[in-house]
Amino acid sequence: MKKLWVILLLVAGAIGTFSWDEAGGHPHKTPHFHPTPLKLTIPRGWPQPPTNIFAHNPLTEEGFQLGRKLFYDGRLSRDGNFPCASCHEQFAAFATYDHDLSHGFNNQFTTRNAPPLFNLAWARSYNWDGGVNHLELQPLVPITAPNEMAETLDSVLARLRKDPVYPRMFKAAFGTPIINSQRMLKALAQFVGSLVSYNSKYDKVMRGEATFNSAEARGYALYKARCSTCHPEPLFTDYSYRNDGLSLNPYLKDVGRMRITGDPADSLKFKVPSLRNLSVTFPYTHDGRLYSLYNVIDHYSKGIHVGPTLDSSLRKAVPFTEQEKDDIVYFLHALNDTTFEKDKRYAQP
Amino acid sequence: MMKPKVFNRGKAFLLAAVVFTGLSFKEARTKTTQDPATLRIVFSNKVGARDLVLRDSTYENPFGESYTVTRFRYYVTDIFLGTTGRQERIRHTYFLIDQGIPASWVAEVKIPAGSYHSLGFLLGVDSLLNVSGAQTGVLDPMRDMFWTWNSGYVMAKMEGNSPASTQVNQKFEYHIGGYSGPHKVLQTIRLPFDKVQEFHGGETCTIYVDADLNAWWKSVHEFRISEHPVITTPGLLAREMSENYAHMFHIDKIVPDSH
Ligand code: HEC
Ligand code: HEC
Repeated sequence: MKKLWVILLLVAGAIGTFSWDEAGGHPHKTPHFHPTPLKLTIPRGWPQPPTNIFAHNPLTEEGFQLGRKLFYDGRLSRDGNFPCASCHEQFAAFATYDHDLSHGFNNQFTTRNAPPLFNLAWARSYNWDGGVNHLELQPLVPITAPNEMAETLDSVLARLRKDPVYPRMFKAAFGTPIINSQRMLKALAQFVGSLVSYNSKYDKVMRGEATFNSAEARGYALYKARCSTCHPEPLFTDYSYRNDGLSLNPYLKDVGRMRITGDPADSLKFKVPSLRNLSVTFPYTHDGRLYSLYNVIDHYSKGIHVGPTLDSSLRKAVPFTEQEKDDIVYFLHALNDTTFEKDKRYAQP
Repeated sequence: MMKPKVFNRGKAFLLAAVVFTGLSFKEARTKTTQDPATLRIVFSNKVGARDLVLRDSTYENPFGESYTVTRFRYYVTDIFLGTTGRQERIRHTYFLIDQGIPASWVAEVKIPAGSYHSLGFLLGVDSLLNVSGAQTGVLDPMRDMFWTWNSGYVMAKMEGNSPASTQVNQKFEYHIGGYSGPHKVLQTIRLPFDKVQEFHGGETCTIYVDADLNAWWKSVHEFRISEHPVITTPGLLAREMSENYAHMFHIDKIVPDSH
């Protein structure tokens, strides 16, 4: 009996004060709450994600569907016009199609190119400078930025609470109809973190379901020789921060990683982006300055700006021949995944 | 005390069960050493001997610069008590002391009954919680103690105005954070008692802790408002300011068996 008393006291202590997974949707804590578990797709041959981003946010069908609805809902922005999906469009692999910078509230531009959203569960940090350390925290940036969604969490949550549908969906996802910032952020992370793109021709070749044509095969060899140190298979990025020879943008004056670390050695270093789905994510790089894939290849061929933080692997770049440029572009096109861009599970509900 | 806003039915039920069990036990037994004691810490933010009043009162820092304060907040977490040869850590203790919210000035926790010789806590939010995604309660990003574009908690914050400031509207602003690397600002505070203090089971012991704002400008380092009106990013200055404010606390008095 004494033991029971101690256990109960511990329980009382645990709920009487804040605990870090409070309301985190731990299904076993709420009786009669049995959401449908989901598993993150980890394609055959891929590494395990470096950390489990769902460790304190069990992935469920209900959580995913709530996140999906939130992602497409304009009410997360001040004037209703800028849901996440306004800058992250599915047909553009969740980048902003054909925009160097995206549009936000009150005719303002974002200060960086909107990256596509896929395979984020493998990333270790988010944004071009890696300033966001957990996927759940990412939405705080656009929601509160005056040039993006221009909102406060308070008013977003007030709107969701008044909605006839959301309380039901929060209950289905987390066991009770309570709507708070943590649950909203966790649901968004469930949707965005589940976006996995792995059905390009390249993937089919690796699975033995297709073969490269000769141009793609030559391009693949060139890629391995010249690009794979920073953009390694199968994710086509190592998620490190590097200076790949782009000079400082004189208008935006964006120093990249240094903005976060304050370390001059990080000046002009940006997170290496994936090379998947490039056919729909142009223009390229953090400020969208390279419009086409040929612009990108020309950059690596003879456009490298040599500065103190330039990556050592690019210090003596050999120019590509016209044939080689074509071959690399053929290979890059083999990394497009049109099933991802059309997947109905990721579409507007 | 900042209680979690979130309460689901399961927990409500459990709590009811606990309260009920607690009540029936109370009837059946007399207090024993098995019962936990209640530790209540009352924080009084001051400048010298004067209580801090937001906005209306003018104070002077150790360099003779006058100032008013508009916001003053800090995290008190991971409370522990020193006892012979070890520390009794009180898990899951998170408080945000906010001068603008009087109810937040009191931190109340259950501790094992016993004799202790010091009180300690972390000034800030531990590194792990800075990298573990969205939190709730006093750690909710809506508490305005969280950086969005460079994830991490602001561990302590002071904002106000001073004629010494060169900034717009003579503002000064210190948002002190940084949870990793050489400029980590997490400070462990240890406040020794004058004598060993008994904490009896079932009783409440209140410790009155004063926090002197002027330590922010001068203790181990010197910061003049005229030179440093704004420190709002992690780095050397933030760490040095945290090394200063780590010295702002002292125990005013301890009142045992208070209610
Ligand atoms: C106004 C346009 C805009 C809106 C609206 C917007 N984003 Fe973004 N998003 C961006 C830009 C620009 C970046 C890159 C920011 C940077 O690197 O500093 C980005 C980055 C991201 C990233 C990081 C991707 C990576 O690879 O690091 C994620 C995840 C993301 N957004 C999710 C969301 C979610 C979820 C929402 C809705 C809550 C949202 N975004 C709303 C423009 C937008
Ligand atoms: C030293 C590392 C490094 C090497 C080698 C490298 N890249 Fe990159 N790549 C980067 C970085 C870093 C960026 C982001 C730069 C920025 O936005 O400022 C980038 C951006 C890109 C982009 C833009 C993608 C987008 O979504 O905006 C493409 C395309 C690209 N690289 C292709 C290649 C190709 C093809 C090669 C080989 C010829 C190559 N890279 C070699 C580091 C590298």
